[in-house]
Amino acid sequence: MTAVTWVALGLTLVAAPALPGIVNRTKSLLTGRRGAPVTQLYRDLARLWRKGTVYSRTTTWVFRIAPILLLATTAAAACLLPLDGRSALLTFAGDFIAFAGLLALGRFALVLAALDTGSSFEGMGASREGTFGSMGEPALVLCFAALALATGGTSLALMFSEAPSLWSADGPALAMVAGALLLLTIAETGRVPVDDPATHLELTMIHEVMVLDHSGPDLAIVQYATALKLALFGTMIVDVLVPRAGLPVAASLAVWLVALGAVAVALGVVEAMMARMSLARVPRFLVAAGILPAFAIILLLGSAG
Amino acid sequence: MTPLLVGLALVLLGGVAAVALARRPHLAARVFVVLVVSGAGTALVPAVRVLRGAALATIELPTQVPGGPWVMGLDALSAWFLVLILGVGALAAIFGAWYLAAEVEHGGVPQTQLGFAFLLVALALVVSAQATLFFLAAWELMALACYFLIVFDHRRAEVRRAGLVYLVATHAATLLLIVMFGLWSRHAPDFTFASLAAVAGELGATRSLLLGLGLVAFGLKAGLVPLHFWLPEAHASAPSHVSAIMSGVMIKVGIYGMLRLVAMLGAPPAWWGWTVLILGAVSGVLGVLWALAQHDLKRLLAYHSVENIGIILVGLGAGALGLAYRIPLLAALGVLGAVLHTLNHALFKGLLFLGAGGILRATGTRELEHLGALARRMPLTWITFLIGSIAIVGLPPLNGFVSEWVVFQALFHAGLSGTPAALAVFGAAALGLIGGLALLCFAKVCGTVFLGHPRTPAAGDAVEVPAAAWGPMLALALACGLLGVLPGIVIPSAARVVATVAGIPADVIGELTRPALSGAARISVLAAVLLGVTGLTAVLRATAQRRTAVAAGATWACGYAAPTTRMQYSASSFAAPLVDVFGKLAGVTVERTAQAFATHPANVVLDRALEPAWRAVRRAGARLRPIQQGRLQLYLLYIVATVSVLLLYLAVFGGAR
Repeated sequence: MTAVTWVALGLTLVAAPALPGIVNRTKSLLTGRRGAPVTQLYRDLARLWRKGTVYSRTTTWVFRIAPILLLATTAAAACLLPLDGRSALLTFAGDFIAFAGLLALGRFALVLAALDTGSSFEGMGASREGTFGSMGEPALVLCFAALALATGGTSLALMFSEAPSLWSADGPALAMVAGALLLLTIAETGRVPVDDPATHLELTMIHEVMVLDHSGPDLAIVQYATALKLALFGTMIVDVLVPRAGLPVAASLAVWLVALGAVAVALGVVEAMMARMSLARVPRFLVAAGILPAFAIILLLGSAG
Repeated sequence: MTPLLVGLALVLLGGVAAVALARRPHLAARVFVVLVVSGAGTALVPAVRVLRGAALATIELPTQVPGGPWVMGLDALSAWFLVLILGVGALAAIFGAWYLAAEVEHGGVPQTQLGFAFLLVALALVVSAQATLFFLAAWELMALACYFLIVFDHRRAEVRRAGLVYLVATHAATLLLIVMFGLWSRHAPDFTFASLAAVAGELGATRSLLLGLGLVAFGLKAGLVPLHFWLPEAHASAPSHVSAIMSGVMIKVGIYGMLRLVAMLGAPPAWWGWTVLILGAVSGVLGVLWALAQHDLKRLLAYHSVENIGIILVGLGAGALGLAYRIPLLAALGVLGAVLHTLNHALFKGLLFLGAGGILRATGTRELEHLGALARRMPLTWITFLIGSIAIVGLPPLNGFVSEWVVFQALFHAGLSGTPAALAVFGAAALGLIGGLALLCFAKVCGTVFLGHPRTPAAGDAVEVPAAAWGPMLALALACGLLGVLPGIVIPSAARVVATVAGIPADVIGELTRPALSGAARISVLAAVLLGVTGLTAVLRATAQRRTAVAAGATWACGYAAPTTRMQYSASSFAAPLVDVFGKLAGVTVERTAQAFATHPANVVLDRALEPAWRAVRRAGARLRPIQQGRLQLYLLYIVATVSVLLLYLAVFGGAR
């Protein structure tokens, strides 16, 4: 069991950079372009890794440690998710709070790094990231609450390994949770319609403007951590939708990877169909992401009582 | 119990020595610190013993006052708060000696030291008193000692006003407490807590009234919304080490009162649990929202105390629901979360207020918009302040995370309980929002105070605080780290407190909190994983950077060649998007011109509700003024008229008698 969990973690770490590639490729194909290859991010990361680094004279050790902490927190959060569909490397009651807390710690580090540069652009990005991040937090907690009510478990491993088998009983609630998780994925990983990773106007950016000053290996680490975060959120969506606890190990992993690719394709379709929202509308988007699981909880409480 | 009395006497002696040696300030400060720290250390001994499971005999102080003996005793609940009072108190005393040294010409320093000693002793007596009149006397001593500390800088009008508002609020609380204990003790043979608790079952409808009165009275002290109106100004005006005690410890006495009330009255009714839970959630969200709008460092921290009291009350409310609906697990986890967060908040809020004091001394300002880049000038303060910030936001692997984790679990178990308490699960959304907003707020504080470019010359020339000031901060930061990485070391003691509050045997509570204990061990593992991956990534990046060039340059300003420090994001602009989302609720007036952007936060309850209400009362009073003419004939006429009306009333309705 543990070996499989380690293999799943390894697969996540290796496959994560392919996900943004799949999103972008889908978007390109749907908008009538050929687009970059799926492996583009791997090449970018390799190139950035070999490049030099420029540190602003304004910055302190905070700026240097932030990318490392971002990756470390995301990787530690990965240890809490049941990536193989059964168990996680580290499981305890209430570990979902640790999951949310680790991701928040990474965000805190990156926001501080942005403010460390003294740049007004990066301050703007940090302010937006913090604002939207704080509004996404209750939605994420409510998603976990709905899953806990559905499955009766208070650890991520229990929630996500049990949830997909409950579709016949609690279908509508699970659908709402999956929908909310998709909205959160878009917001947390900076995809259209919340944020546009491909934009070239700093004033409209959120995530990208916050990391303007990162270069070389630091930028590679930030981009990789963002891809890893996409993989984690994608896995949560997959684990709500696809029952794979009963499958043999290899099949379970294969199903997971295919489903993860499908989530990326879905994100690409959304990106192709929608334009980026104005910043003032993002809070409403995030409130919607919170209302869905709140309804799910009401449904679940109703069916239980 | 003797060490407790000896210790408190030493603390008091320290205060007296400071006044006696007023002519020699250096010696006075040293003697004060030595006596207060050794006194606190002595008094901590019995408290720690009780928390480890020992039972101590109570003592009765001889008194001629009616209402039974003045009993003093330590149970787990008292001991828990005593640890926090004396621990943070001793560290704040060390810091205070340095902090006040700069104010020697001011003249009030010895009296302030004495007031501080009185405050510590009064706080210790409040939590160890087990008789009504003794409790009220200690309570009043605490309130008054604190008032004199708040108005230390009495030459400034806003400080005097803050002191006055505080005095009104705290006496409103005292009056309500007198009413509460008065109604209660009518049913009991004497006024000791033991007798009051013994009659808890025979109170009938009075019990609900007592719980309501207690919630308002202790809520005023704790600073829950909307009774927090006195808190931000008072905490911001006091000298910083006093702010640390007020925010970290004194408002917790309100929490102590609520816990003691539950312990004495038994399981509260469901409405009380819901009220506490909802008020907690509201206090948490509004507290952090109002904190975000501030750009005065100490006032911002004070609003965060409102937020954290909210988190504690969410835990207590969940625990009370567990008692009301007879769900032992919910009761245990809810109260455990509240108790743990009380300790954790004392540690990190004490740390942050001491840090704010250091910044104030180094730069002469608490205005965020005048600071910046202190990370270079004050690296030691920065490290400890950052640790405090991560802890207060509730992020792993520090102590704030642990207590929020327990409260979250309580709310989730409420959801799973299959009783009406299940709706409490929505409190988790409020907690999530509080955490996210706190992150934004402390990113703002750390970013504008310590990072970027200095916004004023004062910030650019700041000098690091000496070891006497940094030492206490370091001690608090280490405590935050220790309780975050190894939370298992306090959970058994906290479980004893829970047993006292919930009235459930200690071994049952031990069994109920076992999952929390094993989870705490996993949190330690998680901290190790985090450290390991961080180290690994750092090594990987170092190898990458060894082969490539690492250059220093200017911050990329998107092609603009001459950026100035005034172009930096300010605290106001950083918080603006969020403040906009909440609109009027945030209580901020925004000033936008082509060149400038400024926000002016208001004390929403005081400025927009209480003061208009008070003005309306005065206007109504002015209408009555014509009847006060100062002429004797007129007053005689009033008396004749009143007596006639009363006689008429008796003649018409009083015939039956």
